[in-house]
Order: sequence, then structure tokens, then C-alpha cells
Amino acid sequence: MGFLNPANLLWALALGVLVLIYLRSRSRPTLEVSSLMLFDDAPAPVASVRHVRLDPLFWLEVAGITALVLAIAGLYAMAPVHAGRGRSHALVFDLGAAMSAREDGNSRLDLARRAAFKLIAGAPAGDEFSVITYALEAQVPAPQTTNLAVVKAAINSLEPLAVAAKAAALSAAIIRARGSSEIDLFTDRPPPAEAIGGSLGEAQVRVHRIGRDDGNLAIAALDPGTPDSTRGRALVRNFSAAPHLVEIAIDLDGKEIAHQPLMLAPREQALVPFGPLRSGGILRARILTEDAIAADNQRWAIARSDGAARALVLSPDAAVRGDLARVLLAINPNFQVETIEPAKFAPAANAPGSKRYDLAVMHDSYVPGIGTEATLMVYPPLSSASGAEIPGLRIDGTARSAAMSSERGAESAGGPGAALGATRVIQLPEWMDALDYGTYGSAGAIIPIVAAGEVLSGRVGVIAFDVRDHFLFDPDRLDALIALVNVTRRLTAPAGVQVVPTGAFVTLAVSGVAQVTQPDGAKVILKPDKWGRVKLRPLQAGRYVIDSAGTHANVLANYYDAAESDLGAVPEAVPAPSAAAVHAETPAARPKQVVPLAFILIALAMGAFVLESILLVRHAARWRMTHV
Amino acid sequence: MLEARAFEPEFLKKLDRLALGIKRARTVRAGTRTLGRVQGLGIEPENFREYAAGDDLRFLDWNAYARLDQLSIRTFRADRQVELTILIDASASMGFPARDDKLGLALALGAAIAYVAMGENDPVRMAAFAMRRGEVYLKATGFHRRRESYLEFKPFVAAVKCGGETRIGAAVDDLLHHRRAAGIVVVISDFLVSQSDYEDALARLVLARHEVKAVHVMGEIESTGEYPPGLVRVRDAETGQTRETVFGPDAAAACRRKAEGISARVRDFCTGRGISYARAFGAASLETFFEHELGALGVIR
Repeated sequence: MGFLNPANLLWALALGVLVLIYLRSRSRPTLEVSSLMLFDDAPAPVASVRHVRLDPLFWLEVAGITALVLAIAGLYAMAPVHAGRGRSHALVFDLGAAMSAREDGNSRLDLARRAAFKLIAGAPAGDEFSVITYALEAQVPAPQTTNLAVVKAAINSLEPLAVAAKAAALSAAIIRARGSSEIDLFTDRPPPAEAIGGSLGEAQVRVHRIGRDDGNLAIAALDPGTPDSTRGRALVRNFSAAPHLVEIAIDLDGKEIAHQPLMLAPREQALVPFGPLRSGGILRARILTEDAIAADNQRWAIARSDGAARALVLSPDAAVRGDLARVLLAINPNFQVETIEPAKFAPAANAPGSKRYDLAVMHDSYVPGIGTEATLMVYPPLSSASGAEIPGLRIDGTARSAAMSSERGAESAGGPGAALGATRVIQLPEWMDALDYGTYGSAGAIIPIVAAGEVLSGRVGVIAFDVRDHFLFDPDRLDALIALVNVTRRLTAPAGVQVVPTGAFVTLAVSGVAQVTQPDGAKVILKPDKWGRVKLRPLQAGRYVIDSAGTHANVLANYYDAAESDLGAVPEAVPAPSAAAVHAETPAARPKQVVPLAFILIALAMGAFVLESILLVRHAARWRMTHV
Repeated sequence: MLEARAFEPEFLKKLDRLALGIKRARTVRAGTRTLGRVQGLGIEPENFREYAAGDDLRFLDWNAYARLDQLSIRTFRADRQVELTILIDASASMGFPARDDKLGLALALGAAIAYVAMGENDPVRMAAFAMRRGEVYLKATGFHRRRESYLEFKPFVAAVKCGGETRIGAAVDDLLHHRRAAGIVVVISDFLVSQSDYEDALARLVLARHEVKAVHVMGEIESTGEYPPGLVRVRDAETGQTRETVFGPDAAAACRRKAEGISARVRDFCTGRGISYARAFGAASLETFFEHELGALGVIR
């Protein structure tokens, strides 16, 4: 029970007024007379019992006013929803990669569809259904409707994604379904209790656990090694509780270079070495053995070309120049790194086209017009023309200290990130993506620390913090080094190809409208923004081909998630009864709905007042009063 | 206020023709020592009788003895004035119901009787009594004989206030404590007191050879019971006791019966003891009281 308008309970003060009136009336008017002996024979019908008996008139008034107050306060009760009275169902589907696991020729999502169709078929006419999905985020393919054809079409259009289903997405889905009287969750694993409990509200969630424990094989990692130098390795993992024979193949630019069967013990992971590669290229590892989830059976990597790459490091600080050169060589041993003081950079070498670099790293300096494929600005100078050279980039000032955080608006799970020294406060243009954020000042203002972007003129990266005093090699500041490595790899990646994890956003510079061919063959048209970029988010594992004005780019999406790929693991969660068991639960589990009691209360009030009037008339007649 | 009416000229004019009715003989034999009596020393001859031992030789008729050689005593009509004391109940019960103005009625009646008595130059005094704070409250004026002095009563009448309990017996005790010649005592009260109290008081006045006249006053509302209808708590003005009752026709009838019963008891007692009884129920009775009630009962003649 509860109140729809609890503020109106203030009207209960009327009861206080009524009690005051009653008490006032009990204190009868006192009439002083000459002597009581004159009243010896006068009737005293109520005087002797007045104080102890219940006054029906008063209590009828109390009952009537109480009922009215409760009515205007919106008293309601929760009553079970009767079948056939237009219940609303929310069908929530897990679209994580595990839902693509196949059992007896059907995917788990297929089994979920069947269960949903059975539920729809068994529902009374007039019931409403909505379809909600979740994986990385919650979506509503079909809002609440009584049109079952729309609902079924939406369910049929669902496809599992090559990503792990996030608990936050499940919570968001439950929140969206909260208005429904019944929520049916179709998932292959028990949902986390915290994902449901906090957002459940009055609705009841029925968990339909789809599928059974099963084994799975996955490629957890792929290292191409160094062509002509070091061997590459593929990490293969067996999630099955039984030994499993795995046949793995390695392709380089579409040509198989290794093929190896191996026996994996239960829940074992093994390194499969290959190579060294003879040349760079697009490397692909495949599990040929058939298993439950296909998305984690292949993995892509880029083997760097053994051709020389030229890098330029400019910094007024010699130590910084040495540190940056070491890092670049660690990232790519084929780099030919030139380090020079910006002021001494030869103007002749500055002539356009006279010298071409694959990467130019400029620390606390900016020299315009360097012919380079990519530019990395480290601690960009305040007064230089860098802001003008890099469109949209704005440098507002310098923070004396800052701290790295993993995500915008949230610090890393392990607490505050690495403490940074002097850091530029930068404003990024729209075409740049912030890769790391940081906070500075007592208010903890959030600023981008590491960013990268690509326009037609080339790739540009920015690192806002200073790296003097061997900052990059401080073991307490590994986050800073990792950030530098990541942005450098991004800037020096082979042109026209990117290897990304599924679910990540990919930005590509294009020269016109782009056509994206997905791994399943579907084609999508994307329009570039004003910076000439298209943005896509690979949700399938495999190769995405982007064609734009005769140019081609490839995005290679890898999927692997240890928890999602493990079909035999049962995470700690709320007890997950089977769908059948859920249906057999007691009626207490049935959904309830709000039933306003206003009409009943008003009727009670009117009844009380009518009864009071009748009693008044009777009293008047007894006292021989002609009117009341 | 009704007591003011007693000093209005129109009202007094109506009283001019009235005289106080006194049953007891106003004469005594001169020369006879009578206990408790003032010897008559008037100048109006009344009779002759034979001399008896002990007679005052001053009243011996020497001329008759010279002619008849017989001793005889000349008697005179006593030129004696009768003291009139008007005892007015000033207890709290006389103040309620306030609309009835019982005290005002009692004071007006008392003053009017005093005015009538002063027409024969009888010494008259007014007294108010009650029992206040455990002591007898008896406040009396001096004696006034002539009507020219009538207005001397006005301050007293204006000053009397209600309060305390009705204790007629105690007031009579106090009155008799100051020994004076027997006279007339008019007791004006609502007699809303225990029957033994007023009976004992009146009886003792009679035993003291006073000629007693009782005037029973009650308010119109309390005598008719015409209170506003409804549930009400009534409180005794003197004792403070309360009880709850419901006013209506039944209660009014009960009140009327009770008032009549009290009146009848007082009247029966007075009749049995030779006490004149009159009643004035309601303020309206003031106008007709002297013409009908007192005259019929012999309080005035």
C-alpha cells in the first residue's frame, strides 16, 4: 500500500480540528442556577455516561473525514494483475557473444527466440510486448505494442554480437523494462544480482536461462613477432572441462603459413609458436576445430614490415630526446630515429618534400611544415603556432600537476592514476579522440591527456604532459609510458588497416561517402562529417572493408572475452531457476499493479455521513426538537 | 434593576394608599408591667378599672375618688410604635438566574413594604443576610420612621450584593441576639434552603413574639423552568455542585413542579404558625404584588 499524493495527508489536520470541536462540545455549557434542588426531577439522560461511552456521531465524523483524507492522498493497494487484463511484458534478450554459441544446430539466441515466441503465444489477447536487448548497451528494437507481428519481427531480427554483455547494459535494459508488469529475461547465464535488484521496482523479473554448460575454444592473443627476427605466438585456450583437440592455422596476407593440431587439457591454454615471419602483413590465426562460439575462433594482427621507417624527435631537452628515441625503437626496431634540437633543425631539411618521415615527435616545441605521415605533439608549447597548424586544437594553459584517469569522469578502478607533472590544458577538435583523461586542480577538472585523430593531411597525436626528467621510465608512472606506446602505435599503424577489439569506435578519414562491408557481407553507407571522417563500431569479429572514392581501408575486429567465452562458468549471481521452474512459482511471484482505493474511501465517507445524519434526526426526535 | 423601581415616584404613589396590616394589638394597658412590653404612655384615655395593689399611683383618678370615694385607675391607649425589620435574603441563590433579578425584586418589595410602614411612622429598618466565608453576614440599616426618610434606604438597597449561602436560621439568631422590642419581621427570601433551616428560623421569630411575614420570591425562569433547550451542566450558585441535565419540556415541567412544591411547603408551614405568607414569582409580579398578593394574605390592609 502507499499514497499517490502523500502531501495531501496534510488534510489530516482536519481530524485535529474535529477532535478539538469534540472536546469543546464535551465541555457542556455551564449554567449557574440558584439551587440544584429545583432540578431534582429534571431528566438527565446522558449526563452520567457521557464521558465513558462512545459517541457515535463523533466517530462517524472521524471515519468520514479519515476516509476522505486517505482518498485525496491517493491511497492505493498493490493487487495481483489478473490475466487477460492487458498485462505488459518486456522481453529482454542478452545479445552477448555467448548467445551465438550453438547447441544441436541452433544458437542460444534461437532457443531464446523460441521461448519468447512460446510466451507470446500463451499470453492472453490484449497483452502488450516490448523487445529490449543488451550487450554493450541497452536498446529497444520494439517498444511496447500489442502488434505481435511487430514484436516477432523484432525478435527475428536479433543477432548476437561479438562482444561481452555488460552488467551495466543489463541494468539499463531492466530500467527500460521497469514500467512493464512482467519482465522476461532471456540469457545464457544468471544475471548479476546487483544488475537487477537496484532497478527492479515493482515489476518481477523472470529469468529464462537459455542453453547448457558447454565447452569452447578461443584464441586469446596473437603476437606476430618481428619479421625475420622473432617468432610469433598464438595463445589458444580451452574452456571445456574435457580435453580438446585443437587445429589452428596461421595466415599472412591470406596465405597459410602455419597449420598445427594440438591437444589441450581441460581448461588449459597453450602458446602456439610460429615463424618468424618473412615479411610484414596482415596476420590471422584461425581455429579450424568446430566449437560453440565462432567469433573467438579467429584473431587478427598486423605484422610490421621489415622496411625501414624514419622518425624524427625534436625536443629542447637532450634527455627527453633520448628517452623518446628509446621508446620509439622499442615499439618498432625498424625505426631510424633522428633526434635534434628544434632550434637547430636545418631549414634545408625543412623544405617540403625534401625529407619524408613516418613519424615526427615534437616535445615542447613545434616546427611547422615537416613532411611526415604522422605527428605526435608531446607537451605542446603554449606560444607556438601548433594550435593554428592543427585545426581546432586549443591550448588553454598549463597545470602544475595532474593525474591520469582511465575514463572520462571516472578514475581507474585501482584508484587515482599516475601522478603527472606539468600538463597542458588542451581543448581537442572534434576530429580527435581522447584516449586518456586526467584531472587537475582542487576541483578535479577533467581534461584530455592523450588524444589522436586523423584527417586527410595525416595522423596527429597529442600527449599533454611533460616527459622531462626521465618521466617515461619512472616505474611508478607506467601509465604514462603505456599511453605513449598506444598513441605511437596508433599513429604508426599501417595505412589503410586497423586492428581493433569489437565494440571499440573506429574513426577513419575518407574522401567521400563510405560504404562499409561487414564481415557477414552486409553493406552500410556512412556519410563523412565536416572533418572528412566516418565513425564505425565493429560489433562482429572479422574484416570490415571501407570503400570511399576508390580508396580502401580495412578494419579488423578481434573478439575475445574470457568470461563471455567461458560457457561452463557460472558467475556468482542471483539464483537462476529455469524458465519452467519460474513459471511454476507461487502466485506471490505474479506481478502486481496499483489499485487506487479512492472510490471505496469516498463511498465509506458518504456512508458515514449519511448514518450520522440519521442519528442526528433520531436524537432530535428524542429531544422533541422540530428541526435539526 | 428592579430595586430602582422602589424609589420611582409613580411606584411610590401607588403605595401611598396602603397601610401595613398588623394583627397584634397595638395597645397595652398603662400602668401594667408586662414582660417584654413597653408600657403605654399615651395621652388618649382608654378606660377605668378598680385599683389593684401594685398599680402605679400616678394613674389613680383622684377626681373620681373624691366624688365616688372609690379608687380607680385611669388607663390610656398606648401611643406605641411597632418596629418593622425587613430581612432580605442576599445569598448567592438570589442572583440566579441573572435575568430574573430576584434580588432586585426582593429589595424592591422590601423597600416598598418599608415605605408603606413608614406611612404610620413606624420605625422601619432593612437588613440583608447571608452566610459568607463561614460567618453570618447581616447588614442592617438604622430605623427610619418618616417617609421623608425613605430615601435613606436607597444607598443600602443599591449596595446589597448577592453572595454566600442561605442561612436564615443563623441570620435570625444574630437578629435576636440584639434584644429589642417585639415587632414585625418580614422575611423576603427564595427559601431555596433546607426546610428545617427556614422552619426553625421562622419559628424562633414567632417565639420571640415577633409578628412574622414571609415573602417568597422566585424568578420567572426558575419558577417556570423555561431554560434554553439542550444539554447543559447546571451548577449550584451556593454550593458549587453540578449536574448535567437536558432542558426541554420535560425538564421545564419538572422545574415548575419543584418550585410549586417548595412554595407549598413554605406556605403550609407559615399558615400553621400564624405567619403571613405572600409570594412574588417573577419580576412582573412587582406591579400587582401589593394589590393582590399581600392584600389577600393580610400583609397589608
